Amino acid sequence: MDTTDSNSTIKCWVDLYSDQLFTWAFYKTSDKETAEDLVQETFLAAVHSFQKFEGKSEPKTWLLAILRNKIADHFRKSYRNNESKTVSFSQFFDSNEDWLSKQKPQQWNEEDEQHLLENLDFQKTLTSCLGKLPQNMKATVLLKYMEDKDSTQICQELEIAAINYWQILHRAKLHLRKCSELNWYKR
Amino acid sequence: MKKIMNFLMQSCQKAAGLIDKKMEIKLAWKENVQLHLHTPMCNACSAYEKQSKLIDETLQRYLHNISIDSKSIVENRALKNRITSKL
Repeated sequence: MDTTDSNSTIKCWVDLYSDQLFTWAFYKTSDKETAEDLVQETFLAAVHSFQKFEGKSEPKTWLLAILRNKIADHFRKSYRNNESKTVSFSQFFDSNEDWLSKQKPQQWNEEDEQHLLENLDFQKTLTSCLGKLPQNMKATVLLKYMEDKDSTQICQELEIAAINYWQILHRAKLHLRKCSELNWYKR
Repeated sequence: MKKIMNFLMQSCQKAAGLIDKKMEIKLAWKENVQLHLHTPMCNACSAYEKQSKLIDETLQRYLHNISIDSKSIVENRALKNRITSKL
């Protein structure tokens, strides 16, 4: 197949699938510009390796596989670029390692808790809190929950030690807990 | 005696760390003991444990369930044009 042919095929795919790929990338990265760049890179990569496509799978499946890799790469990079910016515990605990009074977890409404899991608005609150996390935490959290990977795999992908991994998740959880409490219970 | 007390009485900061560590990797027996001695007696940390698990489950459901077909598609014409122009 010559280049004009592959180009017109891919142009057709852009028309058919770019909105869907963008929507998906946006949900995964919670950032519009990042999602747009990743989708663009996906199609450029598709042009590049069009011979490998061979029509064995659905075009959408193939493009999605490329996009998945691009997203994982993106998380790896943003993790590494922000690695040093770890937040100290002093915004959560005092010098005696006790909870600071404004950070101290209080019981949430018991009945509520059963329903929060199903509650779309609570999911939205939590996702917007996720968007506010420092890049390296966001990358780790998204990688963990998105792909259902176990901790060993994620540590390998991000090239981090297990101890850093759970500590990053722990810090992310401290932030997410406080942020969702603030925005959900307004306290 | 002081040593034993230090071992038994963990700070909230350590306990909260162990709560989240436990969800990711297996704790050493010593850490398990420390956690079991602290959390049930501490309102703040037992609330933290519950809420941390709830956040975990919510993220699991929300982020994991996003499949490409289940979302209402957002149109992005500008992006379409941008990509087409680069091909």
